[in-house]
Amino acid sequence: MTIDSLFFTIVNRGKANAVLHKAQECGAESGTILLGEGTVESKFWEKIGLAEIHKEILVVPASDELSDKLHDTISETFTFSKSNHGVAFTIPFKRWQLQASEKEEINNTSANANASHFCIVTIVDKGRSKDCIKSARAAGAKGGTLIHGRGAGIPTDFYYPLVIEPQKDIIIIITSREKVSAIKERIFSDLELGKAGNGIIFTLPISRASGLVEQRTEENKGGTA
Amino acid sequence: MSLLFEKTKEVLRTLLPVFIIVLLLCFTIVDVETDVLVRFIVGSIMLLLGLAVFLWGVDLSMNPIGEHMSLEVATSKTPIKIAILSFLLGFLITVAEPDLLILGSQVEEASGGTLGASIIVYMVSIGVGVMISLGVFRLLRDKPSFSMFMAITYGVIFILTPFVAEEFLAISFDASGATTGALTTPFVLAISLGLSKIKGGKNAEENSFGLVGVMSSGPILAVMLMSILSGQKNIQGEVVEYVIAEGVLRPIINKLPGVFIESVIALLPIIVLFFIFNFIKFKIPKDELLGIINGLILTLIGLTIFLTGVYSGFMDMGRIIGVELGKMSPWLLIGIGFILGLIVVLVEPAVHVLGEQIEEVTSGHIPISLIRGTLSIGVGIAIALSMVRIVVPAVKLWYFLIPGFLIAMILSFKSDPVFVGIAYDAGGVASGPMTATFVLAFAQGAATIIDTADVLVDGFGVIAMVAMAPVFSIMILGTVFRHKRIEYPTIEKKPVVSSHLVEEVNMDHVCIMAIVNRGLAEKVVDVARQSGAKGATIMRGRCTAEHQKVLLPIINIELQPEKEIIWFITGTHVSKPIANSLLNDPLLNQDGEIMVFISPTEAMVRSFTTINVTNDADQAT
Repeated sequence: MTIDSLFFTIVNRGKANAVLHKAQECGAESGTILLGEGTVESKFWEKIGLAEIHKEILVVPASDELSDKLHDTISETFTFSKSNHGVAFTIPFKRWQLQASEKEEINNTSANANASHFCIVTIVDKGRSKDCIKSARAAGAKGGTLIHGRGAGIPTDFYYPLVIEPQKDIIIIITSREKVSAIKERIFSDLELGKAGNGIIFTLPISRASGLVEQRTEENKGGTA
Repeated sequence: MSLLFEKTKEVLRTLLPVFIIVLLLCFTIVDVETDVLVRFIVGSIMLLLGLAVFLWGVDLSMNPIGEHMSLEVATSKTPIKIAILSFLLGFLITVAEPDLLILGSQVEEASGGTLGASIIVYMVSIGVGVMISLGVFRLLRDKPSFSMFMAITYGVIFILTPFVAEEFLAISFDASGATTGALTTPFVLAISLGLSKIKGGKNAEENSFGLVGVMSSGPILAVMLMSILSGQKNIQGEVVEYVIAEGVLRPIINKLPGVFIESVIALLPIIVLFFIFNFIKFKIPKDELLGIINGLILTLIGLTIFLTGVYSGFMDMGRIIGVELGKMSPWLLIGIGFILGLIVVLVEPAVHVLGEQIEEVTSGHIPISLIRGTLSIGVGIAIALSMVRIVVPAVKLWYFLIPGFLIAMILSFKSDPVFVGIAYDAGGVASGPMTATFVLAFAQGAATIIDTADVLVDGFGVIAMVAMAPVFSIMILGTVFRHKRIEYPTIEKKPVVSSHLVEEVNMDHVCIMAIVNRGLAEKVVDVARQSGAKGATIMRGRCTAEHQKVLLPIINIELQPEKEIIWFITGTHVSKPIANSLLNDPLLNQDGEIMVFISPTEAMVRSFTTINVTNDADQAT
């Protein structure tokens, strides 16, 4: 199977294994699960600092056909159309193979031109994720998913020669094409990512998404009208 | 809010079996007054709500506080500061532990006043302080190995054992149970996790556990030394007549203020220490501080409700079940003891906290249900054996304690390293407030009704058994696990000294994502750097693939191997060489496990550099 894309799913903690089993029934070969945290959109709980929910992120390498199939089956079995049931999206991550590498061209423009949604990834020092989500919300984003990670290590001069591993927060925000640049600029300027060592921000094109809040509201509008 | 809902569901799942079994007993063989039964039901509801709120609060407050404090300890520039800080942490949280004061006054009574309660409290606290600071030194140096460290500690305990009277042996092990209370355990777990996160390196996962185990050995040593030095051999004293409270609401309301004050006192040293340091050093931003304060309030409220529910609803119930079953048949006592042990331990607050931490640290690689199951079986057997000890006077406590710890010690060298820490922690974690009230009351109830048993002697020692059994059972699990786990070559990290700013203007970027087995991320970063990559971010996850499924025997639980996911953002011109060099590297490729994915990306990177050394060092100090 040629892997043309990665199929991402974000669900509540504990459900990723079930989703993975379903994906394997559809023909996926493997899957990787990361632990993350989601945000809850509630002014009240946010104000008192208690908006947090545990999530799992599942990544399945898939071909284009498989990814379409996964979108259909998984969003149906796990009712992604209902709120808080999960989100799925496909990013055109090509699996790199040595033999093919000569022919392959990494084409920036086409993938970006076709995408209807974008995934904004911000990587900052641990603890600044809240600011990031705050400014993303201010620019029109709904919410984000947070993964804890680390940067490469640096040695220091403490009593024990510890290699301190800088803890990093990775924030994933999914949004539609229109809002992308506004959110990106906002985060970039609010968090001062232009300064060295403050973090980076980049976007990945999404070729297909299901279960997004925006999609739901559109459907709902269509239903009532 | 969803987090609270999640916690409530989790607590409910563990509480329901206890609730159902106790109700079953009440309606079949045990004759219980309506008052006590109603109080048990009310107590269960309080326990459910209280514990859920408590766990939520711990999540929000203890974990960040632990992280900040451990950063402060780890980044000390002199060994003296490490020693003093970690000693203070251990000493202060123990001195304020309400359970310890109760134990102290019990011992004062039992020793006929030779050993004062306050001396015991201080000695035990010093014991904990010293052990914690030794444990922190070990963790930071990563030498000797944790198994060796614990083997030496318990070796000293075993050498002292023959000089200590049996009664004091029981008290000393009970003291270790008393110090690992509902609040101290989550806090020490958080410190341990924080330290190992900062330290990083290839043993980070193993180092995330074990400090609770280290801490609980402190009181054992302290009480044993005291007993030897004071020459105290015999326990005397009267058993206080046990009165079962009457009414439903009165006992609950009467208990509440006392419990609240106890909780405040227990929480106080952590709060004071944290705010002093926050004032001088951390200067946490207001938002985060607000979250921590809210978390502390929730912790306090939750703990108060939880403990009140347990004291007023569960203690009398445990006592009555013990007495009634004791009247009927010793076999029933042993059997029901086993079942109660099996299910009660899962309601312990610290068991929930430990489970969550295991999930966090291993990214779900070690199934929590497996740890919980092993813990249950261990404690079930411990309670059953305690009942045997009450029924048959010839069976002594050390028949189980010494061989149990000895075998666990030997297994620790054969076991999967992560499990060694978890196992020693589990001892302190399992002997929490539920054991100290419900199970202890059950055992004492049984001891009063059986003529050959001595309430004083047999009452002590139950907690010691509960603290020993999980160490033993989880160590066995770890030994099995090791043979099932795939071993990866781990790469010791070379410190990367860096670097200068690199201006990159207006260029196309590519996102490279590599998935490798745990331990290889540093190698990936090295290889990629040589081909022109700059920064990298590493995440952890677990992976399943059809061709590499690993199942544990009999119970058929799937083990999902741990992975590291590395993200690079690079210029388009270097992306091919990086990807190719990753795929060409012999070490990364030897088991064909590396996967490299490439996607175009639009990055807003005006300049990027490997992490700025001075910048981070400033933050850390």
